[in-house]
Amino acid sequence: MKILAKLTAVETKLLVREPGAAFTLLIPLFILVVFGGEITEGDTVLLPMAVTIAIGLVGLYLLPTTLATYRERGILRRLSVTPVRPGNLLTVQLLLQLVLTAAAVALLLFVGIGVLGAHAPGPAGFLAASALGTAAMFSVGLLIAALASNGRSANGFGVLLYFPLAYLGGLMQPADRMPDILASIGRYTPMGALRQSLHGVWSGGVLAPLPLVTMAVYAVVLSFVAARYFRWE
Amino acid sequence: MAVIEVQEISKRYGDQTALRRVSFSVEEGEVFGILGPNGAGKTTAVECVEGLRRPDSGAVRVLGSDPLRQGSKLREHIGVQLQNTQLPENIKVWEALDLYASFYARPRDWRELLERWGLADKRGARFAKLSGGQKQRLFIALALVGNPKVAFLDELTTGLDPQARQTTWDLVKRVRAEGVTVILVSHFMDEVEELCDRAAVLDKGAVVALDTPQGLIEGTDAEYRMSFRLVNGSAAEPSRPLESLDGVTSVSRTGDLVVVAGRGDFAALVTAHLARERVLVRDLRVDKRTLDDAFIALTGRSSDA
Repeated sequence: MKILAKLTAVETKLLVREPGAAFTLLIPLFILVVFGGEITEGDTVLLPMAVTIAIGLVGLYLLPTTLATYRERGILRRLSVTPVRPGNLLTVQLLLQLVLTAAAVALLLFVGIGVLGAHAPGPAGFLAASALGTAAMFSVGLLIAALASNGRSANGFGVLLYFPLAYLGGLMQPADRMPDILASIGRYTPMGALRQSLHGVWSGGVLAPLPLVTMAVYAVVLSFVAARYFRWE
Repeated sequence: MAVIEVQEISKRYGDQTALRRVSFSVEEGEVFGILGPNGAGKTTAVECVEGLRRPDSGAVRVLGSDPLRQGSKLREHIGVQLQNTQLPENIKVWEALDLYASFYARPRDWRELLERWGLADKRGARFAKLSGGQKQRLFIALALVGNPKVAFLDELTTGLDPQARQTTWDLVKRVRAEGVTVILVSHFMDEVEELCDRAAVLDKGAVVALDTPQGLIEGTDAEYRMSFRLVNGSAAEPSRPLESLDGVTSVSRTGDLVVVAGRGDFAALVTAHLARERVLVRDLRVDKRTLDDAFIALTGRSSDA
């Protein structure tokens, strides 16, 4: 317990010192504020978009880059010759990245609703959609971390995946202005499914099952594959 | 008492043999060297002892435990500095020591280690800002912070300047003086000669020699050289050519400089011969036989090849 507390304290400090962490907080906020001028109380697009970007940035960039770098630098290996199992470090990192995601989302809600005046979503639907979306995006990140040979290539995979996924998910251009075929593919991407679900939550209707199932399938299948292929060194 | 016992361990990767029936044992309080050219299997051997790798066959006992089956008990009592490992760039020196100290049941006071390893003024510095020597000292401090009975140091002076190497050597001697058994993996002959009580020489995955550094030097009977200059006027050729003396392998002469190579006691025979023949020489020099020569004789390669 003492060890986990110390590990968490040190990893938290490292995360705070990591510029990438600040970016994942600030980029979605920046997007929200820049486009937030035209936000109305009835808006159902902007906050879902910003929240999806925030979760995507942590899941696709920060998480895989951090984990692959830890492996590349031999930090997991070094831990495996101490009384502490390196799995503890992965667990602590995963939890911290979840906390960071929650903080980024909370910041967006605070600014979007409190300052810019958008309306608040139904809490149950919002939590369900965000939790599934985070699970799906993190599993993509874990898969990248498992397959990338080092931190830089994990980062490269992240970039390579982020932009097409963001585009397909309707984050760069509204889905109804995208070619039909791309828009339909987009519905089955993790980001597209999350944006759609959040859009549904803000619109106040019943949550459509398809995007939720899509995200759940990503989460289960990809984390399984990631766990299967993860290498400690 | 043997702290480490390695019996006939073998390890293959695909069709590549990394270790071939390697055996050695390390006594308590010893500095034991594992020496060999790159790719000789040194690191694999040590990793089997540390419990990081599973040998295909053979047995390893460290402090009476099996590193694979009783690893959790064992890891409390060993300290390891691994080759090619880093710390997170932004971790501060004191944070790393404090963190690693928390992993062990009876750690040393890391503040004292900080002083002793000359890192006190770098206490708050981030890992990325440390020099190569400082990083290396931090790694050794981390290997010792758990108060280990056995410390493994792998290629600890690679990439250090001569000054930093000397400092690191002095520190290893202090570790030894504290009674910690040290396993030193190295491809530097001078390092092994300076620090180790005994060393195993590995080549192509097998132990080709195991002795004290002096024993290795004497045991291999490597060729060495002597040279001298003939004093003007005594240039008369000796009646019996130097080549015919026992142990001499070659003689070369450039102007008044004569270089003789040979094995065993040839240098003593040559000097006695010159005296008998009343040949006057100056600048007589007999090269010291080094572990380098022994190493080349054992493996057919130079250590930094």
